[in-house]
Amino acid sequence: MTPVGQTDTIRVTGRQWGFFILVAGLAMLPLIEALTDGNGFINNSTLFSMTQMLMLVTLASNWNFISGLTGYVDFGHTAFFGLGAYSTGILMTKSGWPFYPTLAVGALVAALAAVLIGRVTMHLKGPYFSIAMLGTFAALREIVRVVRPLTGGGPGFSLPPYLNRPLFYYLALAQAVLVVALYRWLKGTEFGSMMLGIREDESGAEMRGINTTLIKITAFTLAAASTGLVGGMWAYQNTFIDPDIVFLDSRTIEMALAAVIGGLGTIAGPVLGAGLLYWMRDLVWASFLQWHLFIEGVILIAVMLVMPKGIMGLFGNRSGLTVRGVRAAWRKR
Amino acid sequence: MKGQDSGPDIGDREALLEGRGLAKWFGGLAALNQVDVEVYRGELVGIVGPNGSGKTTLFNCLTGMESVSAGRVFFKGIDVTHRKPHQVAHMGLSRTFQSIRVYRKLSVLENMLLSRQWGGERLADWLRSSDRGTAERARDILEFLTLDGQWGEPAGSLSWGQQRLLEIGMVLMSDPELVLLDEATSGVSPGLVEVITERILTLNHLEGKTILLIEHNIDVVEDLCDRVVVLDYGEKLAEGTVDSVFSNPAVIEAYFGRHDAEF
Amino acid sequence: MTEFLQALVNTIMLGGFYSLMVMGFSLIWGVMGVINLAHGEFVLTGAYLTWIMNRHLGWEPLAALVVVIPVMFIFGYLLQRLLINRIIDRQHLVSLLVTYGLAILIANGLKLAFTGTPRSLTTGLRGFWKVGEITIPIVKTYDLAIALAMMAGLSLLLGRTRLGRSVRAAAQNRQSAHMVGVDIGAVFAVTFGIGVALTGAAGTLFGLTQPIAPFAGLPLTLRAFAITTMAGLGNIRGALLGSMALAAVEVYIGTYVPGIGTNLGLVATFVVLVVILATRPQGLFGGLTPVEDS
Repeated sequence: MTPVGQTDTIRVTGRQWGFFILVAGLAMLPLIEALTDGNGFINNSTLFSMTQMLMLVTLASNWNFISGLTGYVDFGHTAFFGLGAYSTGILMTKSGWPFYPTLAVGALVAALAAVLIGRVTMHLKGPYFSIAMLGTFAALREIVRVVRPLTGGGPGFSLPPYLNRPLFYYLALAQAVLVVALYRWLKGTEFGSMMLGIREDESGAEMRGINTTLIKITAFTLAAASTGLVGGMWAYQNTFIDPDIVFLDSRTIEMALAAVIGGLGTIAGPVLGAGLLYWMRDLVWASFLQWHLFIEGVILIAVMLVMPKGIMGLFGNRSGLTVRGVRAAWRKR
Repeated sequence: MKGQDSGPDIGDREALLEGRGLAKWFGGLAALNQVDVEVYRGELVGIVGPNGSGKTTLFNCLTGMESVSAGRVFFKGIDVTHRKPHQVAHMGLSRTFQSIRVYRKLSVLENMLLSRQWGGERLADWLRSSDRGTAERARDILEFLTLDGQWGEPAGSLSWGQQRLLEIGMVLMSDPELVLLDEATSGVSPGLVEVITERILTLNHLEGKTILLIEHNIDVVEDLCDRVVVLDYGEKLAEGTVDSVFSNPAVIEAYFGRHDAEF
Repeated sequence: MTEFLQALVNTIMLGGFYSLMVMGFSLIWGVMGVINLAHGEFVLTGAYLTWIMNRHLGWEPLAALVVVIPVMFIFGYLLQRLLINRIIDRQHLVSLLVTYGLAILIANGLKLAFTGTPRSLTTGLRGFWKVGEITIPIVKTYDLAIALAMMAGLSLLLGRTRLGRSVRAAAQNRQSAHMVGVDIGAVFAVTFGIGVALTGAAGTLFGLTQPIAPFAGLPLTLRAFAITTMAGLGNIRGALLGSMALAAVEVYIGTYVPGIGTNLGLVATFVVLVVILATRPQGLFGGLTPVEDS
């Protein structure tokens, strides 16, 4: 019997093929660059740009996982990005650790923080949670600034240079693919259904046997760990971190915008949104560099007013259990 | 399974659900004060009382949705006073809500599917694919409740009475031993009140479910309940069969004095 | 001891400023149910407006209030009619994201217009009162006086005028207010206008003591949220008390914790906020209505 929450067999295969082709295509890019020696269509800066885009895909998907699927809209998610960035940076410069272990630690630190922070903030509902997270983000920025001996304070510090563009590209690609696939799978499991119950009516869900606290914090921690990982990668690529560029106000906006444009609560939404956002950004940057955040603000407002369900919403794809899946389940009788 | 004419055999049996000395204070106000209540397996017990007498608070305390200021709650002999609602639910207790908590934006069937018994808290349970045969169970229950025609409609578009039925359906998905119904007929059209009443009787008589219900409609209480508990201002005013309770002068005064009951 | 008293004086000054800053936020939230994440940016807008008049027209900043207040009122009124109106009865997520977008928009707009270089206001009100060992900047006493005056004015407006009654009615229950002939749309627009005007005025005061920079808005918004949560929506007296309390926390930490004190101020705000939300979600001083599930 077709499990509820997934589409009919035929559509699934079609979508999966599309996905594989896309991923394969993306995986080819660095090879093309190497072959054309950076002179063709794909050059070093394209790769860099695509890497950033893939990182945004991951970030937007993480943000969507907690904000869209459980309904706990996290306005301070960048806090975990920052924790990952700083953990990686500090371990590499102060303790001389190699890159990959520091990435893992970055994710771990973010996860640990999420458990601690979540236990406190997730008792709050709706806007209170959102703003509490916003406050956490701002507070962390100041804490990092203050704990100078450890973090280098306001002036920040540099990381060892390691400009291997293709490597980062593949890392970002791998993470994006893994994360999107993971979320898609989870959404179709019991865990996903429980998240849905929490989003739609938490007290009712609790009364129907769902351990809401455990589920929420698990989802929160998962998203945070993934975001921490991106933070670590970003720090390394940037080769320099300080409180202000790491804990940047506009980072959360980008994640949120990408998810919302694409369709909050869907899986494909953040991917589409990130891609679209990046394409728009390249366009805008070409002519109006200074204006890009201003325009992003405008777009966020416009999208919320005009098409709050995002692009996926235009396809009538509700972010709950899909109607098609439900119909299939019904017919199986 | 008890017969229709005789009341349940209480005797020395242990109560399925028991609240002892329950009290709940909000600031200086006692929503519940020294309330004792027992429900034995197979019974159909009613909780009645004027508005604001603490009935829903009692339910909240019994199910763990609100913490008690004093007193204890026992379910199947186990002290569940400080347990969280989902833990109590797992033990076999289910409830509906006065304000109807269905997932409005989701379809009727989705509502049912989201209410099944959640297997447990092991990772393996979480990672199972959603739905295994529960769609069939859902459909059976929906048929029982005359709602199967609306399986694909958003729950919010159903009539009030139908939403109450849906809520009962959601409660039944987990096959509970004890069902708490909070105002199952309030605001419902007379025709559907009959449907609901019949269904409740069937659940109790044929399927042996123990039922505790809050009701304003005295006719429904008369039809359904073996035993009634009257609350007033958070305290237990009277307890007994429907007849004995409603000929009790104190109870009459509580009701008539406040023009609350539907007679 | 002197340190303690100086801190006390500083607290009162700061608290006075905070309470004015919070007024608009609390009013808007209380009457329309909109949590305005662009609040800090409105403060900055008022500050920049004052700066234009101060720098290019040579006006004394406090005198500029005469222009700032009406201009911000109109700005708020229009903003409400065009934008905020559309998000009022929608889910909290929508109003949060929209006002968040507005915040980014305004902050970057200000940066485009004024560049990121911090600006300051020049005022003739220099100098200090000296009471024993304690110094009180003259300009801050004017700040406090104006803040108190505006709050008194707001109190009168809400309590004594017909407009005020309409606003309070609309805050309590929109349907009923509508039925007794209150034009909800107009009431909301005016309320928003007043809220923004008050916030803009706070911006003027802000500019007198702090450098004006485009991205300084978030800490102000967070403080407004913290104080309002403590005080209860639309509760003027509570806002005053809450502002003093928060100011006290910030000033005393800043005074007694060497070096890093000022940065910790924001952290302290946040900790206070979360503690309060966790322990007393209904607010410290009064009626914070529970957030409905949307």
